[in-house]
Amino acid sequence: MKAILKSLCATMIVAATLTTAQAAETLDIATDATFPPFEYIDSEGKLVGYDIELMQAVCEAAQLDCNIFNAAWDGMIPGLIDGKYDALISQLTVTEKRRQVIAFSDIYDRPIFRFVAKKGAALDITPEGLAGKTIAVQTGTPMDAYVTSHYPTATITRYDTGSAPYLELTAGRADLHISYQAQVIHGFLNSDAGKDFELVGPQLTGADAKEFGEGVAIAINKKNEALVESVNKGLAIIRENGKLDAINAKYFGQ
Amino acid sequence: MNWDVIAENLPLYAEGAKLTLLLAVVSLALSFVLAVPLAFLRNGRVPAVRYAVLGYTLVFRGTPLLVQLFLVYFGLAQFELIRASVFWPWLSSPMVCVLLTFVLNTTAYSTEIFAGGLRHIPVGEIEAARAYGMSRRAQAFRILIPGMLTRSLPLYGNEMIMMLHATALASTVTLLETTGVARRITLNYYIQFEPYVTAAAIYLTLTFVLVSGFQLIQRRWAGYLESRIG
Repeated sequence: MKAILKSLCATMIVAATLTTAQAAETLDIATDATFPPFEYIDSEGKLVGYDIELMQAVCEAAQLDCNIFNAAWDGMIPGLIDGKYDALISQLTVTEKRRQVIAFSDIYDRPIFRFVAKKGAALDITPEGLAGKTIAVQTGTPMDAYVTSHYPTATITRYDTGSAPYLELTAGRADLHISYQAQVIHGFLNSDAGKDFELVGPQLTGADAKEFGEGVAIAINKKNEALVESVNKGLAIIRENGKLDAINAKYFGQ
Repeated sequence: MNWDVIAENLPLYAEGAKLTLLLAVVSLALSFVLAVPLAFLRNGRVPAVRYAVLGYTLVFRGTPLLVQLFLVYFGLAQFELIRASVFWPWLSSPMVCVLLTFVLNTTAYSTEIFAGGLRHIPVGEIEAARAYGMSRRAQAFRILIPGMLTRSLPLYGNEMIMMLHATALASTVTLLETTGVARRITLNYYIQFEPYVTAAAIYLTLTFVLVSGFQLIQRRWAGYLESRIG
């Protein structure tokens, strides 16, 4: 019995060292796949989207071995800080507050943020106009921070995923939702569920409110400066060789 | 370690604990009132009723509570017919959806626990009650219900603890109870250990109070079963 236990332990130790050795070579990159068209699971169960293709292109250009996988939004940034993940790509907005705990690559996109509501709801997008209205947002996002500080008299309901607020809009529990304009259009308005809804209010960017940050970037552990450098190198390469334009064109037709 | 964040958010935790307690107490109280008569029907003479109750408890014990909650909260909302119905003002409220689901779920478990207790009442006790000429009502209130409840106490105590902890699922449909508070702090301050340890401490305290109360009740009302157990 003892001998069996001993050999079992030995195998386990060998197996453990093998997996850590592999982990050191492959980069674990997490994404919250509830955010079409940026990151989502398609009908075949595959992880796809703008960010996924961009990350794959960056990895290829910088000659990095990347393993991109779906992870829960609420554990992503803490997981990166604790070293569970090497990087995150999830339309992460660069903000002052996040810069204090994690590092970012160069900014690869500057999103526009926009409210969405039922067609003909004729909402007045001002703090007074939205008093008592229900705004659904994904918790801990720049949109959450924005409505929390700018629309204190509105009722704000918060969800763990990027997709739940749309269910609430169609159910009529929420009057408005705010998100990335491209996500609203491609993930919701263009689908059957979104046919009775429309974009409302002004196009918002980091210039309108500091909560919207500077743009979106790949998040990397603060201690891993080498990775920031190689990711930036990869980003520069795909910007130059037209790969980034090709991905942009594929998803947004620009 | 970043306990300052927790200290800052203590009022939020207090609100969360209050909601946790409210959800647990209301669900358990309503389900108790429903489960006692259902336990009788579950053991009743009419097969159709017996199987109907069994069908209900099978469905609600056979599916995860989270799935039930999503079906009630998100699933029902998908149907235009329901959104246009008189129930919608109720069903559009997360609180009503959560309580409805919790009550249906814990009633299913409690019914089976009580029904099991009822089956374990010695035949002699019932025969004695009949021999005294007790009416069926008197039999139920003096012999069957007390006998059933005291025999079910240990199992029912577990069910109450499980229900208390299951209230954590309410956070998935926007209710900011204890777990919801912890998750919100995680998402806004990027720490995980401190908020969840604080939430765990709150649940542990609530459970401790519940268990202590249960021991008192057990000693007071189920004492007569002690010698048989020991």
